[in-house]
Amino acid sequence: MTVTEQALVPADEEQRLAAVRRYAILDTPPDGAFDRVTALAARLFGTPIATVTIVDENRIWFKAKKGLPDGVEQTGRVPGLCASAILHDTLYVVADALRDPRTAANPLVHGEPGVRFYAAAPITTRDGHRLGTVNILDTRPRSFEEADLAALGDLAAIVMDELEMRRSAMRTVALERELRARVEAERTRLARLANTLQRTLLPPALPEVPGLEVAAHYRIASADRVGGDFYDLFPLADGRWAFFVGDVCGKGSRAAALTSLTRYTLRAAATYDPDPLEVLKNLNTVLQHEYQDGDARYCTALFGLLSGCGGPEGVEVTLAGGGHPPAYAIRGDGTVESVHPAGGQLIGLLPDARFAVTRLRLSPGDTLLLYTDGLSEARTPDGAMLGEGHLPDLLSGLAGASAPAVVASLRDLLAQTVQSQSDDTALLVLAVPAAGAATTTTATAAAAAGRSSATDRSPAADRSPDEPSPS
Amino acid sequence: MNRALPELTVAVHRERGNAVRVTVAGDLDYNTAPELRRALDDVPFTPGVHVVLDLSALTFCDSSGITVLVAAHRLATDAGGSVSLAAVPPAVARIFGITGLDQVFTLHPTVEDALSADRER
Repeated sequence: MTVTEQALVPADEEQRLAAVRRYAILDTPPDGAFDRVTALAARLFGTPIATVTIVDENRIWFKAKKGLPDGVEQTGRVPGLCASAILHDTLYVVADALRDPRTAANPLVHGEPGVRFYAAAPITTRDGHRLGTVNILDTRPRSFEEADLAALGDLAAIVMDELEMRRSAMRTVALERELRARVEAERTRLARLANTLQRTLLPPALPEVPGLEVAAHYRIASADRVGGDFYDLFPLADGRWAFFVGDVCGKGSRAAALTSLTRYTLRAAATYDPDPLEVLKNLNTVLQHEYQDGDARYCTALFGLLSGCGGPEGVEVTLAGGGHPPAYAIRGDGTVESVHPAGGQLIGLLPDARFAVTRLRLSPGDTLLLYTDGLSEARTPDGAMLGEGHLPDLLSGLAGASAPAVVASLRDLLAQTVQSQSDDTALLVLAVPAAGAATTTTATAAAAAGRSSATDRSPAADRSPDEPSPS
Repeated sequence: MNRALPELTVAVHRERGNAVRVTVAGDLDYNTAPELRRALDDVPFTPGVHVVLDLSALTFCDSSGITVLVAAHRLATDAGGSVSLAAVPPAVARIFGITGLDQVFTLHPTVEDALSADRER
């Protein structure tokens, strides 16, 4: 039968079928909970056959059956038995099917297995839709008092409870899966965003500065949490060069926005008036103005000017600082000097912040190292911070090395240290080669979290900090 | 449940007069700074309040930590009060020196010094 007879269609058929779908029970494999209900029903009422059936649009599907041959999965939605039973909100009982006008025409009655007795209790949802029935059948006529059949209604209620529990478990699992997928998607999105931001925040490549060898490195501590370290090196109109290295407070998108603002402000301020103190004051005003509401937003930075680039005497450096760790000058003879514009305060924190300036000359053979606290606060395995002792000793050994060699040594050093997962590291090395030495310019970027994107600029980006450094 | 020592412990104590002592022990970093920020909600920032941050057991302080210390400074000064730092460990004092915060906060060698300095005002 393909079309359900009009008389068998309950008034709520559309919503009823929607409810059947909602419980997602049709065509599911056998399930012990429902098998136990049929076994119990058969034993309780002494019938050879018991079933749990769900009435679908054009069929009656057996969720559980006892006493019916294997392979009987479903039957037509024909009048008399289950199809009629769901039209009633109470027990439906046929004492002798062959003699009952309701059932006499049913093929299960006049054909195999020759049903004579039938009783059904509807499986009713909380909102009143009858999904199917719990049935007991016999091949001989039976007579039960209605009261004796009350337990059949209880079994139907148990089936309904079971369906509710299944559905709520399925919903929980689906929700959990959806949440997990959402979290994963969000993580991927953030990691990609962080990576993109980080790359837009750094200069694409360092320019070539006459008479100077430059190298830089950026180490991302966590791929999904944007850090706020930055550096840049750029020419000014009058032939001088400007550079800066800094670190903004915080992490994440707010830090990224602050980093971006800081970088562009420093660049713009330098073209307007390159005096390092003025540049930092300008940045201080901008950050104060930008973040007058809410928590403080600030950064630390060293901003410097290079003059005399390309001359035989090396370069003259004017360095201003606000709250940033000292730079190091590595002299050709192995002397290491801490270059600290002492007393400079964090930038953007106070309306009348004070900044300090210092001057030095880099002669041929001298190197200037600028860094962020990811380097100075990295700890050696014995727990000591690099900034407190180890670093100057190591730098002394790098006297006369090329700028890329200094960066490479520091990267190796970082790979051996215990670093805070939240601290990025930026390095900028400016070296005046000794007379006759060739110059090189390099920049590398490394994502340390082991999930680096293929769009990173250098092969070094694929290296995780836990792996040994290539020698 | 067994737990490792907490990374940061914060406690707020009312002292004599208008003083409030806040002890900050452990690592004050990106992960723990929000804890101190929350604890500041329990500090009555009222006119004339003097908040003494007892840092004797502070083992580390990064830029996120500094943000919260500065927030405490702002909350107090906006309310017409003040903040001073007591017993700043050398490693943290070094960071304060680098960042110029030693010029922003009043530093006292001990909590007692900080509290009595307040009473003498």
